[in-house]
This record gives sequence, C-alpha cells and structure tokens, in this order.
Amino acid sequence: MAQRTTEIITGLFMIAGLAAVLVLALQVSGLSPKSAGDTYTLYANFNDVGGIAPRGKVAMAGVKVGSVRSVTLDKETFQARVELAIDADVDNIPADSSAVIRTSGILGDQYIDISIGGDMESLSPGDSFYSTQSAMNLERLITNFASGK
Amino acid sequence: MASEAYITLTDVVFSRSGRRIFDGVTLDIPRGKITAIMGPSGTGKTTLLRLIGGQLKPDSGTIMVAGENVPRLRRKALYTLREKMGMLFQSGALFTDLSAFENVAFPLRVHTSLPEDMIRDIVLMKLEAVGLRGARDLMPSELSGGMTRRVALARSIALDPELIMYDEPFAGQDPIAMGVLVKLIRDLNSSMGLTSVLVSHDVPESLSICHYACIIADGHIIGEGTPAELRQHPSERVQQFLQGQPDGPVPFNYPAPDAGSDWGLTGGAR
Amino acid sequence: MMDRIAALGRLGFNVVATVGRAGYFLGGALAGVPKPAVGFPLLVRQLYSVGVLSLAIVVVSGLFIGMVLGLQGYTILSDYGSEAAVGQMIALTLVRELGPVVTALLFAGRAGSALTAEIGLMKATEQLSSMEMMGVDPLRRVIAPRLWAGFIAMPILAVIFSVVGIWGGMLVSVDWLGVFEGAFWGNMQSSVSFVDDVLNGVVKTVVFGFVCTWIAVFQGYDCVPTSAGISSATTKTVVYSSLAVLGLDFVLTAVMFGDF
Repeated sequence: MAQRTTEIITGLFMIAGLAAVLVLALQVSGLSPKSAGDTYTLYANFNDVGGIAPRGKVAMAGVKVGSVRSVTLDKETFQARVELAIDADVDNIPADSSAVIRTSGILGDQYIDISIGGDMESLSPGDSFYSTQSAMNLERLITNFASGK
Repeated sequence: MASEAYITLTDVVFSRSGRRIFDGVTLDIPRGKITAIMGPSGTGKTTLLRLIGGQLKPDSGTIMVAGENVPRLRRKALYTLREKMGMLFQSGALFTDLSAFENVAFPLRVHTSLPEDMIRDIVLMKLEAVGLRGARDLMPSELSGGMTRRVALARSIALDPELIMYDEPFAGQDPIAMGVLVKLIRDLNSSMGLTSVLVSHDVPESLSICHYACIIADGHIIGEGTPAELRQHPSERVQQFLQGQPDGPVPFNYPAPDAGSDWGLTGGAR
Repeated sequence: MMDRIAALGRLGFNVVATVGRAGYFLGGALAGVPKPAVGFPLLVRQLYSVGVLSLAIVVVSGLFIGMVLGLQGYTILSDYGSEAAVGQMIALTLVRELGPVVTALLFAGRAGSALTAEIGLMKATEQLSSMEMMGVDPLRRVIAPRLWAGFIAMPILAVIFSVVGIWGGMLVSVDWLGVFEGAFWGNMQSSVSFVDDVLNGVVKTVVFGFVCTWIAVFQGYDCVPTSAGISSATTKTVVYSSLAVLGLDFVLTAVMFGDF
C-alpha cells in the first residue's frame, strides 16, 4: 500500500512538471497553438534599423501583426534588409503602405509600424515595402541641430 | 583429506596499497565440511573470502570454486556462480529499508520468478530454520545484533547455496547468541550438506565446530589440519595463537626504535 | 622542493584516476537495461525521495526569489518609467538563469547530499557488498534508479521553480505595486521565446541534473566507508556539484545566448 501511495504522489509530481511546462509555453512565452507557422513574409529596406532585432514586434495601428525574423545587410545598396513574418490573416496590407521604425515611449523598445496606404492592391508574400522610414536617431538629430544644418 | 576439494587456492598473491597481504597461499577447502580460517586481526581473512567471492582479483595465482577459475570469469558467469554462494557479513548487512521478511525474500525475488505465496512459504521456512519466524515484520533497526546475524544467515541460505562463507560470525556476540550461532552453523552444514568456510579469531568456538582448520599469519599459512592435529602442532606461532599467549614469536611490542633514544636517556638526544 | 613537485604529480594522477573511476562507474550503472517490472517500482521510489521530497524547498525558494525579483525590478525600472517591463525581466531571469541554477544548487544540497550519505552508509554497512555476493549488481540495482531519478526530477523541479517564481513576481508587482496586469503579461509574452528561452533553460537543467546526480552517487559509492569518509564525501558532493553547476552554467549560457 505504501508503494501505491508513493506511485500516486510521484505521478502527481510528474503531472505538475508537465503543467508547469504548459504554463511556461502558453502564459509566459505566449505560444499559442493556432499561430504556429501561419505567417507570410514581407521585406523592408531601411537606411538605419536602429535597435530592431530578430523577434521584434511588427504592429499596425498599435496592434501586433507579426514579428521580425532577421536583419541582414544588403551588400549592393548598403541598406539593412529586414525580413518580416506577418500573420497570415492580415493579408490585405495596401501595396503603397510604408514601414516605419518607431519607439514605444521615449526609452522603450523599437518596433516596426506599418503605416497604411490607400492603394486597392495589397502586398503579396515576398514583396518589399515601397517606402520606409528609418529609426529616429536622437544623437544624430542633436548633432544636426547643433551644427546648424 | 577425505573428501574432494570444493575450493582450491593455488599460489595466490594479493597486495593492496603497496602492502602484500597474501604471499603465495595454497589451500584446499573440502566439499561438505566446515573449514575454519583463523588468524590474528588484520591478516586479510576477510580479504580471502572476497577473493573467493570474486569481489577482488588476485595479482597472480588461481582460485577454483566448483571447477571454475573465479578471477578469469566474465561478469555474467561470475554473477551466476555467486547465486551458488551465500555470505554472512560481519555486520549482517541487512537492507535497512526492508523488513526481515523482505530481506530474506530479496534474493528469491531477484533470481527466481516464483509466485508470491511460494516465496512466502520459503521465506518463513528459512526464518524458522534460524528460529525467527515470529520476527518477520521487524525492521533491521529493531533487531538485536545476534538476531540481525540470524536473519542475514536466513537470507544467505534463501537460494539453497552450495557454499556459505561466514565472516567473523562470533565477533561481538554474547555467550548465548554465540551458542545459537555455533549450533546453527553446525546444523545447517549437516542438514543441507553445505560447504562452509568460517573466518574467525575466536579459537575455541571455531575449533569446536570445524572439521578442518588453517591459520594464516603474515601472508602465509602457518598451520593446517584437523582441530586435533592443530593442537599438537609443533610450531610455536601456532601454539601462541591457539592459546592466546601475549608474547612469543609474535612480539607484544610493535616494532619501535630503541627505547632509550625515545626517552632521551642515551647521549646525543639533546 | 622535489617533494612538493612529486606530491603535485601524485595529486594529478589521483584526480585523473578518480575521473576514470567515475566514468567507468557511470558506464556500469547505465549499461544494462533493467526489466521494466523490476526497474519501474525502484525508479518510482527514487523519484519520490529525490523529486517529491525536494519539492517543498524548491517551491518556497522559487516563490521568494520571484517576489524579490519583482520588488527589485520594480524599484529599478520605475526610475525609467518602464515598470511594465518587470514581467519580462522576471520571466527571462527565471527561465534562463535562476530557475536552472538555483534549483540545481538546492538539489545538490537537498537531494545530492542525501544520496551520497545513503549510498555511503550502504557501503559502510556492507549492504552493497552483500548485494554483490547475492549475485545482484549494486550499480544496476542501487545506483541506476537513483541516477535516472535525478535526471528526470531535476528538470521538473526547475520548471516548477520558474513558474512559482513568476507567480511570486506577479504577486508583488501586479497585486501590491500596481503594475498593469495586461502590460505585465504582454511584455513577458512578446519577449520570451519558447524555443530560445524556455527550452534552452530546460536543456540547462537536464545537464545540471545529470552532473549533480552523477557526482552525488559517485561520491557515495567511492567514499571511504567510515563515518569520517561519509561526511567528507557529502561535503564534496555539495561543493563539487555547486562548482560544476556554476561553471557549466557559464559555458552553456555562452553557447546558447552568447551570440546576441
């Protein structure tokens, strides 16, 4: 009988471990079963990406619609090429929308905001944004202002 | 010797941490008899049992048990051979987390696939043989020293071995417990036809039950024979050991520098 | 002078020999696959004594560490007006570092020392020898279930530690200090990645569990079978496990998170 009790308690222990992994997956890392893989890719070229890094947020009107997958340097144009993974259900981004790097709060994280255009056509997977606006660099702004340019 | 040898040691040399414990020991242990191996403490009597059991390997020499050369055996064959051996350790070595019943049942559960009611019958039979059937539910911590050894004895005969080795069975026992053990060893040997090897330095008890005895000192066998032969042995060292004289060929004093220099009595010490 | 050098050399050889024995020991313990009918109850009993009995200390420590992280994080982050990031800070710290490391240290102190003492005492009372003489290999019967129990229990304990810690942090920062709950979880979810953070943390705990249990059972099995020997082996278990965990943590962190 003692062995039976031990078995049950140990079983509960293992189940608690599994439950903890589930909590870490769903609640802490925000992994939701539906969104896995349901994305399509867009590209945006920036002169300066500032603090954008992989896994960064991509938002439209402040709502998260995707994430940054990678940031690479385009060796021909010397621009940063950012690969964006956009949720598949957001499939009607107007073709003349632009990607803007913004900062949440004055010292917060930088994220990519998609400013909506007015075109009837929408971007299809693999397309690049026509116009982009680079990160606002506070230091450069001050330098420019101080040197009077 | 009348009967054939069950264990044969030939020129066994064994040393541990640079010290030579056995220096060419040759010994025959007859089948179905009680053989006592005696000697002063620290002469490696327990080591001899471990060599026979294959827990230690000799530097050279052969150890034949039941026709098998123990040091050369592969792991699996060695474990099979050990099922034919029982060993009673000095401390009893009962598993402290199991009851007396479960301790005796342990070898049966591991090595056989007998049904539970049969295991129960065998265990109770073995416990009855050592007179502890009523103590089956006690835990090892609730047993006295003598009872611990008797349960351990029941455990080592659980699989009906051919050979049983006793490591200092009498050490630290009160006279009654000692008498019980002497009786048990003798009875088990005669009723089950076991080959028994007894390691001890309790001379009177050992000589009273063994058919054959040998005395080990300084890595050699200094005397062997039946108890009667040993009592008549010409060697002074054998006589000193058997009669327990404080001084003799084995000196009372541990080797030491000259006494005078230690106490600073001779010149030059200061 | 020559004596010192010779002693140093001997010490070196001793260390190498010990490592060799430890490897041989591990091989012997993990070599044979036991019969499930025999092995499973043994494993369950060890999981109970190694895992379940360590749960209380792990949960309590996790709760307090999470609460301290919440307090400290709030104090520092509120200077920059970004106290909403406290969730992210607590979660990342716990999942990546504190969960695996603190659990491993607690595990070494609670379960590791108990394992060493238990096996050492079994050796001192000749239980291991007698098992061997009964034709049962103590490496497989006694050591192997304990090793496996350690490997399995440690990641579970660490994951529970992290969850309890995050809950403790939430308790302090959301319920007491008034951080907005949505921002707390939202920041956390957008910055913690399941594969990169949670799974890497679990990999760490598996490594730590392996090392801690190995050290503990080996120290017990290899100890000098006297009371002084067992006490020194127990001390060694805690010291070596802690050092190994901290050293390995640096290496693993450098490998996993080092490139960004």
